[in-house]
Amino acid sequence: MPIQFDSAPSLRPTSAVGAPAAAGGAPGFGATLEKMLQSVDESAGAANVAVADMVDGKGDVHDAMLALQRAETTLQLTVQVRNKLMQAYQEIMRMPV
Amino acid sequence: MSTLDAAIGASASALRAERTRVEVAVSNLANAESTRGANGEPYRRRDVVLASDPVQSFGAALGQATATGVRVAAIIEDQAPFKRRYDPAHPDADANGFVAVPNVDVPEQVVDMVSASRAYQANLSAIGLIHDMIRRALDLGR
Repeated sequence: MPIQFDSAPSLRPTSAVGAPAAAGGAPGFGATLEKMLQSVDESAGAANVAVADMVDGKGDVHDAMLALQRAETTLQLTVQVRNKLMQAYQEIMRMPV
Repeated sequence: MSTLDAAIGASASALRAERTRVEVAVSNLANAESTRGANGEPYRRRDVVLASDPVQSFGAALGQATATGVRVAAIIEDQAPFKRRYDPAHPDADANGFVAVPNVDVPEQVVDMVSASRAYQANLSAIGLIHDMIRRALDLGR
């Protein structure tokens, strides 16, 4: 049985080197980070409203605390994503060309 | 995070429901001797009716809600007859000297209050546990 070399799919060129990866694909990291920052802003705003409600006697204590905790968690998640992003960037910058 | 968010929402709705239970038990206790209400009758014992309630979230809108919360469906009045106590000197006593006093059983209300407060604590622990899970998941990134 003859061996067919050209049937190996992994040997074929996949795509042109240097083509923009984000064209119609996943959004860039900048956009993702911006979206996360927006959600941080939103949850911080919600926490502010909940605390103000609690002080006014309209809201429950646990609602205010949950909103605060939620804002903190969102911020922590965003900070972690940003740390990872910076780590990857510095890793690439250190790469000898 | 949406599933854990829904779980926190369910626990938060339970906290609200338990707070209502405590409020109603406290008002029953406070009015255990109120022989005059707004309608001229003695105070009637109130009871909270709880109903399960899917948490309002994105998952719930898609019919994929995993956490079910609770809401106060109604606060009903106990229609049991009033207790009668012989006290001819009381201003609300009838011709035979009996006073109709609220159908509130004080020890029962205290037990109800303690049970609601314990349930509140249990739901607080559940929220703490979920927060702990989220924190540990975030620690993965370190």
